[in-house]
Amino acid sequence: METQGKTAQAEIVVENVTMQFRRAKDEAASLKEMLIRMVRREHGYETFLALDNVSFTVNRGEVVGIIGTNGSGKSTLLKIISGALIPTAGRVLADRSKIQLLTLGTGFDPELTGRENVYLNGAMIGYGKKEIDSRYGEIVRFAELDGFMEEKVRNYSSGMVSRLGFAVATARDAPEILILDEVLSVGDLFFRKKSEARIREMIHGGSTVLIVSHTPSVIRSNCTKAVWIEKGRLIAAGDPKTVCDGYESMRK
Amino acid sequence: MEHIEKRKHGHYGFVIAQLTSRELKRKYARSYLGVVWSVLNPLLSMAVLSLIFSRLFRRSIDNYPIYYLTGYILWQTFTGATIAAMTTLADNKMLLLRVKFPMDLFILARVYTAMVNLGYSLIAYAVMLAVFRVPPRWTMLFSPAVILCLFFFALGVSYLLAAAYVFFGDIRHLYTVFLTLWMYCSAVFYPVGQLQGFMRTLVENNPLFIFIDCLRTAVMLGRLPGTDRVLKMLVWSIGMLLLGFWVFRKNKNKIMQHI
Repeated sequence: METQGKTAQAEIVVENVTMQFRRAKDEAASLKEMLIRMVRREHGYETFLALDNVSFTVNRGEVVGIIGTNGSGKSTLLKIISGALIPTAGRVLADRSKIQLLTLGTGFDPELTGRENVYLNGAMIGYGKKEIDSRYGEIVRFAELDGFMEEKVRNYSSGMVSRLGFAVATARDAPEILILDEVLSVGDLFFRKKSEARIREMIHGGSTVLIVSHTPSVIRSNCTKAVWIEKGRLIAAGDPKTVCDGYESMRK
Repeated sequence: MEHIEKRKHGHYGFVIAQLTSRELKRKYARSYLGVVWSVLNPLLSMAVLSLIFSRLFRRSIDNYPIYYLTGYILWQTFTGATIAAMTTLADNKMLLLRVKFPMDLFILARVYTAMVNLGYSLIAYAVMLAVFRVPPRWTMLFSPAVILCLFFFALGVSYLLAAAYVFFGDIRHLYTVFLTLWMYCSAVFYPVGQLQGFMRTLVENNPLFIFIDCLRTAVMLGRLPGTDRVLKMLVWSIGMLLLGFWVFRKNKNKIMQHI
């Protein structure tokens, strides 16, 4: 009975995903270097496993935190889930059209004004023109940037940029699958509270959420399940408190 | 299903419009005259070259300023498009991982930007045609076909360069040197009649020269270009587009891994 319910609700299924990168021992960044190597017949490749046989399932309505130190394979996993990369082995079952990936501070053009960036950035993440038109006022209000929108983004403070980024990315009604990449650890304390509240709203709206972070507190306070990845391997999955405790004790 | 497809394509249009307006704004972000430069630039270049060469080539070229301008605007569009498109993927690294539309659109937008610029240059061109008393002829209606072929060709080359640039940054330097050579082989500012033997064959099969020559024939001579020229033009542009597209598609996953 329970297993039946589970399979019906699975939103993202990661099945034995392995990602192998072939990288030169020290990257031949130029044509010249590559030619020299070809002449000397040095094929200094080494394979490197960014992900090693990782499997887990995310069910509808769950808030899953992915934790791990920098370079553990978290962002590779995200890229595979969102469809930007194809894994070497294994597969991910998920409806890509439902996924909204949220990362901050990226994709703004410093030479354009705040307003122009809202439209550009909105277009990039799949909003239509009318949609942006109708939500523009709300975006500006949420980002607290009234009166700054005709100003070039290069004159913004970093806080202003991330506020605007967050406001644009979450302006739309809650997507069915929301992936947050280190989104909840930026901005000042006040804005952080506000953005966490917004994320919570989205979670209550029935979204399935994937939060990636290297800060255990973020995972503990927001998630219903945690997945810990280290050096490409799945170390633990389950209750966020237990998993985060394990993660913290390893770091010590 | 069809409805969704339609919406998707509508959205792609919006994306390209946004990316193009960004490129144009960036290009002129720190200048007073802004987009007027797209009109002025070819005119100034024409003035300089005419000053130097129009007496030299007096016997072999009638109306040197227009001869040069015709070649220059097409050449400039091609180099502008390909040089800008080459670094597209590296420049938009952060965006590529977030967006849901195919990343080809970024390249398409840069080439399209160059075409919009060509549109501005064509205003200058039209004025100069009037100034130098080139009468309007019905064969001028052939020009859009040349421009479309140039667009396809530039797009194909852009796909190849953009993919290559991800793996070897040096391509940029090699390409600028190569472009210099290519320009001298395109008869932008000299009469092709004086060339002989191997160079002549090279120039006459050079796609850029073919585009330029077709436009000159249609606009300046009031004739339609010969069938062999038109055929070569079609083969070069469609062939290059397909090649570029195929190579790009094939290496897509590798590109994403490398970026």
